Amino acid sequence: MERPVTDLVVKTVEELKAAPEEYRDAVAKLVISHAVNELYGAQVFDEPAIAYAPTPYAKWLTCRVAMEEYGHHVRFKQLGTQMGIPEERMMPGAGKKPLSIFEFPLKTWEEFVAIKLLADLAEILQVEDLLHCTFHPLRNLARATMPEERFHAQFGEDFSAELVKTPEGKARLQAAVNEYWPYLPKFFGGSKSKNNEIFRKWKIKQRTNDEMREDFVKRASEVAAKYGLTLPEVRQAA
Amino acid sequence: MLGARHSNVDSIRTEVRAASWFAALGEPLTDGDRADAFAYCGATDVQRIDSWPEAEAFLKSPNTPLDWWDREEALRKALLARAEAHHPERGLWTSLTELTTEAGDLVHGKAASAAARMGGAAPASIHVAAGAAAQAVYQLAVARLAGDSASPFESKFRLFAAGRWPLGVAGSRLVLF
Repeated sequence: MERPVTDLVVKTVEELKAAPEEYRDAVAKLVISHAVNELYGAQVFDEPAIAYAPTPYAKWLTCRVAMEEYGHHVRFKQLGTQMGIPEERMMPGAGKKPLSIFEFPLKTWEEFVAIKLLADLAEILQVEDLLHCTFHPLRNLARATMPEERFHAQFGEDFSAELVKTPEGKARLQAAVNEYWPYLPKFFGGSKSKNNEIFRKWKIKQRTNDEMREDFVKRASEVAAKYGLTLPEVRQAA
Repeated sequence: MLGARHSNVDSIRTEVRAASWFAALGEPLTDGDRADAFAYCGATDVQRIDSWPEAEAFLKSPNTPLDWWDREEALRKALLARAEAHHPERGLWTSLTELTTEAGDLVHGKAASAAARMGGAAPASIHVAAGAAAQAVYQLAVARLAGDSASPFESKFRLFAAGRWPLGVAGSRLVLF
């Protein structure tokens, strides 16, 4: 049964101390999740991709993307530290299970382009859902992060446009999409997530996991089609 | 414990803030530029690039050599291994990440200003310039934390600090914006 929503607004980290425990725990979970996953992404994909980038232009652009992803981790970690979350809980290997996509080390430039094209779109949706968060320090952080996330997705589009100019490049990119796409809808969590129910109760997040997943699949299909790519069928998370 | 207050890192922060990032792009070469170019990569010839479109064409060309990049990466990895032997891994990593994040934001704004002033730059090229400059800061920090204050990354940083952007090395020639 849907829980009633509340009108609580928390404007500062200081005010958070007086918020209900359920609210504080929910915000902490989100900050930890973003801090850990931004770092995983930078370590597993962005930094290794620099070596695969084909020109100095692409290498330095990838450097900038990697630095911004590390920077997102730093900013979420700084917010978490202000909230009293121990640093260890915001680093990989501290009990927070990484997203399954991070278990596959990057092997090619085309894989990285596919990840930027699609996985960063998923990240945009996650950040979009925080743009009206009732915890304003997290809302403000989401707003600061959003332009960089959009740039990363644009990076994926720009290099996709380059790759699909040749049949060989397009085939390699499609193969990378086929490999990584099945992991992406799971980014949005289970349909019956208790965490999501609590996030929405307190208006920390706005949408259900299924609503976000559906929107993601629609937007990903549109962006893939722009470059003549297709998305393989995926069995939805339970 | 290496932390945000490590003196090497603090010193670099000060140098980063004082640097003339991208202020001399396209300007005539000086004796100082040539001296730093030689110290950086042994370049006896410096090719000046005049505009953002020219820089973009050079950086995007599949014919632009990348062996200098690979040499720098090999040096960076060796220096990082030495730095890790001197400092606790977590503290080292945190210091480098925080420094690079801070520097990245600063140089991005400087690159955007230079691009607006000169005109003709593709929007993505501002990110490329910021990536190059922030990488130079990172390389300098790794070298100094490894105890090497005479690495090529010192002179590379000096070129950036003097408002230049070293775009690449081809044999004994440095391409300098």
